[in-house]
Amino acid sequence: MSNTASIRRGPGNTLASIDHLSFRYPDSPNPAVRDVSLEVREGEVVLLAGPSGCGKSTLLRCINGLIPHMYPGEYKGGVTVGGLKVAETPMSTLAQNVGLLFQNPENQIFMFSVERDIAFGLQNLSVPREEMRSRVDETMRLLGITALADRAPHELSDGQKQRAALAGVIAMRPKLIILDEPTSLLDPKTALEVVALIEKLNRELGITFIVVEHRLELLIPIAHRLVVMDNGSKVMDGAPQEVLADGRAEGYGVGIPPVAKLYSALSKDGIRLPKVPETPEEMAEELNGL
Amino acid sequence: MYWLSGGFVFRKVISPFHRLDPRAKLLVSMEFFVLSLLSSTVVEVILILVAILLVATVAKSLRRIARTIAFSGLFAVFIFAINFLFGLGLLNALLYSVRFLAIISSTSVFFVTTSPDELEQIMKWMRVPRDVVFAFVTAVRFIPVVMLDAFQIMDAQKSRGLEFEKGNVLKRVRNLVPILIPLVVNSVIRSGELAEAMESRAYGSTPKPTSLYGMRLRWYDVAVAVPSLLLVSAVALVVVFHVTLYI
Repeated sequence: MSNTASIRRGPGNTLASIDHLSFRYPDSPNPAVRDVSLEVREGEVVLLAGPSGCGKSTLLRCINGLIPHMYPGEYKGGVTVGGLKVAETPMSTLAQNVGLLFQNPENQIFMFSVERDIAFGLQNLSVPREEMRSRVDETMRLLGITALADRAPHELSDGQKQRAALAGVIAMRPKLIILDEPTSLLDPKTALEVVALIEKLNRELGITFIVVEHRLELLIPIAHRLVVMDNGSKVMDGAPQEVLADGRAEGYGVGIPPVAKLYSALSKDGIRLPKVPETPEEMAEELNGL
Repeated sequence: MYWLSGGFVFRKVISPFHRLDPRAKLLVSMEFFVLSLLSSTVVEVILILVAILLVATVAKSLRRIARTIAFSGLFAVFIFAINFLFGLGLLNALLYSVRFLAIISSTSVFFVTTSPDELEQIMKWMRVPRDVVFAFVTAVRFIPVVMLDAFQIMDAQKSRGLEFEKGNVLKRVRNLVPILIPLVVNSVIRSGELAEAMESRAYGSTPKPTSLYGMRLRWYDVAVAVPSLLLVSAVALVVVFHVTLYI
């Protein structure tokens, strides 16, 4: 995309930069990520979309360091996060800079109670007990799960599990949090709550987010940028409305939100709205203004 | 099986016994265990069993322990029958079977009142290697998850026409294969995801991890531990070493 100038920038400088990154798993003939370059600025919410198997998950693992630290393979180019070269920085240091929340919260809660689990990462970093206590309490308050402190994982609902798992990541105070399909296992109402939480953390704490999500309409309202990947490469990158208005996005298997489709349909018929609406409410307003 | 397992699964209850330091609970349970082994008459072993039931009452878990006893009753009858038939006499046969019940319920008291968290703390205190403790913790943590998984697979296979309850023993065992294979595959996938999540949260980055809370002995624990330990030691001295105590 050429119109990057209109991207709503976060307040800060470059936080993560991916520089001509390619990665191939040893047992695969083709690279999972091909020559991807991407810059993420402090305070941004970047939405990453693309068909299943397009290399999104591999890219996430490259940013958080699981690749190349846990998965060996053919690694070209580089990733820098907060000034640290990912390939040369130990996982424990990276864990304090990049948090990765996986799709299934169930498999990220190790301990028997929510607060013990939130403390898990801090224990591994040898945080002293008093500080650990205050960080755990603070995180629970922030996510509104203080009442769940003593609950066992199997006593939590799916939405509560997602919050608990996110709390475990946030307690380590990373500057960048990567979410891999955070709402895919949630019902629509709980999914909206998680989106509101991401927005709050971004606004209040300035945490930068990279979110992989298929349900675009949920996250478009809070995203600063939309990046589309296909077949291991980055194919589109820009402000969400612009990417969606571009006809190519649908071709890449990105689920175009109904409002954006309606916008395109209207413009084909010669009805030009001032901008691509993010929500049905915005669309209604724009239509009223015509 | 459920009946048996129920007697060894922790239940969240607020009771004076639950509040004890896990090491004190372990001690009490081991003391009952040792006393049961040392007992030499039916009256003694019944007294021990009654004492265990009293502790279970204090721990508000009498029903649980009673269930364990009811289940192990089957084995106790078996033990009684074998010993009686082999001519060890009525009293000895009774002693052995009640002793078995006392041993089972003494361990049951510990497991019913000690949370997995506390078990973890005890293991750490015993200097069990960190990876072993963690493996234990995750194994216990994922029991309900894997069970749910198993039920789902069973339902899925049943809906495709697999009939578990048919056929002879061999056939029934073979019927388990279509459940076990997906279950194992799922668990392997799950363990991969677990490993990723552990790495992402700095597992193993320090040889000396800290802990959110630790065990601390309070007067309350000492008040239970010391007198009971003295009592059991005295009994052991008398029974094992035939020391005559002049009290």
